[in-house]
Amino acid sequence: MILINCPYCGEREQSEFTNGGEAHVIRPKDPDILNDKDWGQYVFYRSNPKGIFYERWVHTHGCRKWFNVVRDTSTDTILKIYKLTDNKPDISEFQSTLKSPSGEPIVGSGNFAVKK
Amino acid sequence: MSALKNKNCNYISNKEIKITFDGRSYSAYEGDTIASALLRNNIRLIGRSFKYHRPRGIYTCGIEEPNALVQILNEHNEPNTRATIKRAYEGINICSQNRWPSLSFDIGSINNILSPIFSAGFYYKTFMGPKGFWKKIYEPLIRRTAGLGKPPKNFRSKSIHQNHNVDILIVGGGLSGLLAARKLIDTDKQVLLVEQDSFLGGILNNSNKVKKIDGKNTFEWIQETEKLILKSNNIKILKNTLVTTYNFTNHLIALEDKFSGKKIDINKSELTLHKIRTTHTILANGHIERFISFRNNDLPGVMLASSFEKYIERYGVVPDEKPAIFTNNSSTISLVKSLINLNCKPCAYIDSRKKEDIEDETKEYLIKNNIPFYPESEVEGCEGNKKVEKVFIRNNSNKISSINSSMLCPSGGFNPDIHLFTQSKGLVKWDEKINSFKPDTAFQNTITLGSVSGNYEFKNLCEEINKKLSFLKVKDLNPEIETNIRDDFSIEELWETKTDKTSKWAKSFIDLHNDVTTKDLKQAINEGYDRIEHLKRYTTNSMGTDQGKISSINSLGIVSKILNKKISEVGTTTYRPPYAPLSFAAIAGRSTYEYYDPERKTPIHNWHIKNNAVFEDVGQWKRPWYFKKHETETMHQAVQRESKQTRRSAGILDGSTLGKIEIKGKDALEFMNLMYTNAFTKMKPMTSRYALMLGEDGMIMDDGIICKINDKHFIATTTSGGAPKVFAHMEEFLQTEWPHLQVYLNSITEQFTTFNISGPRTREIMRKVFTDIDFNNEKFPFMTFKTFNYKNTEARIMRASFTGELGYEIYISPQYALELWELIFKHGKDFDLVPYGTETMHLLRAEKGYVVIGQETDGTVTPIDINFNWMIGKKKKDFIGKRSLTRSDTVRDDRKQLVGIIPLNKSQFIEEGQHVVECENLPNKIKTPVEYLGHISSSYHSPNLNHCISMAMVKGGNKLMGKKLFVSTPKGTKNIPVEIVNPVFIDPENKRLTS
Ligand SMILES: [Zn+2]
Repeated sequence: MILINCPYCGEREQSEFTNGGEAHVIRPKDPDILNDKDWGQYVFYRSNPKGIFYERWVHTHGCRKWFNVVRDTSTDTILKIYKLTDNKPDISEFQSTLKSPSGEPIVGSGNFAVKK
Repeated sequence: MSALKNKNCNYISNKEIKITFDGRSYSAYEGDTIASALLRNNIRLIGRSFKYHRPRGIYTCGIEEPNALVQILNEHNEPNTRATIKRAYEGINICSQNRWPSLSFDIGSINNILSPIFSAGFYYKTFMGPKGFWKKIYEPLIRRTAGLGKPPKNFRSKSIHQNHNVDILIVGGGLSGLLAARKLIDTDKQVLLVEQDSFLGGILNNSNKVKKIDGKNTFEWIQETEKLILKSNNIKILKNTLVTTYNFTNHLIALEDKFSGKKIDINKSELTLHKIRTTHTILANGHIERFISFRNNDLPGVMLASSFEKYIERYGVVPDEKPAIFTNNSSTISLVKSLINLNCKPCAYIDSRKKEDIEDETKEYLIKNNIPFYPESEVEGCEGNKKVEKVFIRNNSNKISSINSSMLCPSGGFNPDIHLFTQSKGLVKWDEKINSFKPDTAFQNTITLGSVSGNYEFKNLCEEINKKLSFLKVKDLNPEIETNIRDDFSIEELWETKTDKTSKWAKSFIDLHNDVTTKDLKQAINEGYDRIEHLKRYTTNSMGTDQGKISSINSLGIVSKILNKKISEVGTTTYRPPYAPLSFAAIAGRSTYEYYDPERKTPIHNWHIKNNAVFEDVGQWKRPWYFKKHETETMHQAVQRESKQTRRSAGILDGSTLGKIEIKGKDALEFMNLMYTNAFTKMKPMTSRYALMLGEDGMIMDDGIICKINDKHFIATTTSGGAPKVFAHMEEFLQTEWPHLQVYLNSITEQFTTFNISGPRTREIMRKVFTDIDFNNEKFPFMTFKTFNYKNTEARIMRASFTGELGYEIYISPQYALELWELIFKHGKDFDLVPYGTETMHLLRAEKGYVVIGQETDGTVTPIDINFNWMIGKKKKDFIGKRSLTRSDTVRDDRKQLVGIIPLNKSQFIEEGQHVVECENLPNKIKTPVEYLGHISSSYHSPNLNHCISMAMVKGGNKLMGKKLFVSTPKGTKNIPVEIVNPVFIDPENKRLTS
């Protein structure tokens, strides 16, 4: 279980939080003018990268506040936590901190002993 | 007790205890494990193997044991207990497993003869086979004979959880762990030392290898170290505690057995699950000896060499006075020395290494002590009746000779116990010198010390520890470690010996626990499973509860030979937590039975109990399901009675569980317009409205009644189970999408107790109870509400109904809820008022055609699908889910739509969940799928119409009104002929509702 540093309460166990999926997906201002495809894109499609991911979390069993997290999905390392009102940090901030334990490929997992 | 007791054994007391194994009583000593106790009594046969039911004995002396699993009858019948680590105590009652009818005669061993059908991929192939074959032949056979122990009985765990936050965690209290701890004594670091055994020392107790440390004998040194640690104020020791899991962010899980070697006290917690967060983890968890595959390497009497030595040194048991020893490495000579020290003598020393590679000291020692020595030789196999009797030795000129021996001790080398290290996502590397994988790059703050790091040589140990811990800036320690054997480790690669013999009985095992043979590995590779992860699953190799601790690296070796690859190219399978089986009881901790989930009760709960309510769980809530009028009344009778009486006169439901949310603020109106489908702008203050909440995909999420006090103040109700979800949904959108809206939310579910009273005589009752309120239809019409003062609390009455009858919802402070409820009954007596439960509520709403979220809807239903077009504020610019209602998928007219269904033959009953189909009969054998039109979502016997009424979601249902279709039944192929009707069965004109 990872620790998450709630920007309002401090470091707490992951079980106090709920993941809210990808961050920075903005609800269209005027849904009616979108065609089915574009609206469907907003409702149903989210990215799921292996590596750096901008995501939302909510401190469900705490202050109940939403905030954003940059997490490396291949290692579960939390790279940055920021408030909803803060600007989205640029991805170049994190590139260097990405360290997959095995130099795993973009897709797939496991059996890393071989790849050394 | 004919086996010897070593006088120098420090952890076995002289106190005798009595234990029972398979119904017979035996003597043992306090401090014995079950295994050492049984060996002391010369018991070799201890269980039957998993698949072939071959006789098995004790193979090891620790957590790695694949064979000796037993059932502890006096501990809730606890199955699959490792005899090699479970400590015996006075009165322990043990039973062997997986045998029928008895241990020495086991019918399942016929599987051994049938072994061709149990070979690699057996489960996969069999499940694919002809249906009849599986059902008639395999399944009964497997059910009878497969599996491990029997499940525990009358079991109620008392385990607890404990959290630790430390600077350094040391895993393992052996030589390396203790040296590391000594360096940390009285530093500013908070340290936790975890040891799986009930005493410290590890290798120092397990073998004769180390003679002295700092001039002290090993026992003295351990005692001294423990004293120093206990005296320090920064190091804590946890014994009998096994680290099972190494998670991300240096979070580790360890399990403590509080009753090791003691009878369980059922009033105390028997297990503690330690959750440890640490800055640095020092892994000093040692190594595990591996075996060698040869013909019948599973016979009772085969025991790993270092385990044999462990029984001598730790428990003072000599399992056999003249065993044969078979090795491919230099360490095994210490077993010979241990035996010679006790005036015992191995009957053969078989070393596969070349003569010139074998240490001179070893050769000299063997000659000096006159021990038959077989260099450059290997064990071809062994034979005997349920035990080793003959050992076959192949020499370097390929000649096989046999010797008589009742025990055989193989050693295939040692594996650093990298399980935890790889769980932590550390990288391992193949090391040719030790012929095994060892830790390479740590992923977290992990340090490995001693044999787990691949360092098997005591002379380098202090240097290694000083170097690796230098970053902590603690003092160097350089105690002198004196050994009894030459310290350089040498090994020759050997995984399996050659055999020429073929018979049904002859098997060379690679996984003793799951009964996987080396032949299975070869067959699987021939069938194309040449990737190690596939091979593992196909053969079930190393998938037993021991996770192949003594054999998984061997299988890599064998596979690499077949594929002609290096082991480092074959790679390892992924090590996953837990390191050793962790009981669910330990994980559950205190969250069991009534503590598993909180129970929520309404303020009227005790009244319900007094009035014979039968309760139903709705989320965490306890709700009356129905009230039993007399002892023999069935649920059906009660529900029919309650329903009839409510429509005839009046009924009351405790609706307190309904979720209630208060919405306040300058922008409350705008917010409500966005959250719900309905339009609230033109709605008059002090009126209410049935409303729907959608997901962004247009699917119904929840429903409820919205009371508008004014544009800045609303109260919403939610379904009983949906309240937390709806509240979180509102909060999410307020924080993430519309932070500019000034709106405040407050959950008031438990601040107001709710009663739903309905029926034609309700108004008369209300007039009696609330004398100040005008209940006249014009003054208090349908879907309006009034607030009033009740004993200085704010109360609210709303004209609404979920039964289709004239009805009111009363919202009252919980403080006065019960007295008001009783007051209503006092007046209600004269008007035939009946309390009813959730089942009647469901029946009454179904008669009226009202939907229940989660019953008619399932996350794929839009408001249009259930004919709720009238609830959609089409003129609103936006609300959550609005755009999705015009998606090409949601406007299809062949979507499943809500209809009513009644059987043509009014005496027939339709079951919920059944399928609506076009055919009168289902085919006996279904060759092509029967077209499915929809399903029955609700179905009741209506006491007011006196026949079955159903609601169903049917494809293109709106166009099927009046059509004759069929509904399947749980039994048989004959379907029920039905008619599709409007789902409102009672009062479609709403006359009763608005009367
Ligand atoms: Zn918080």
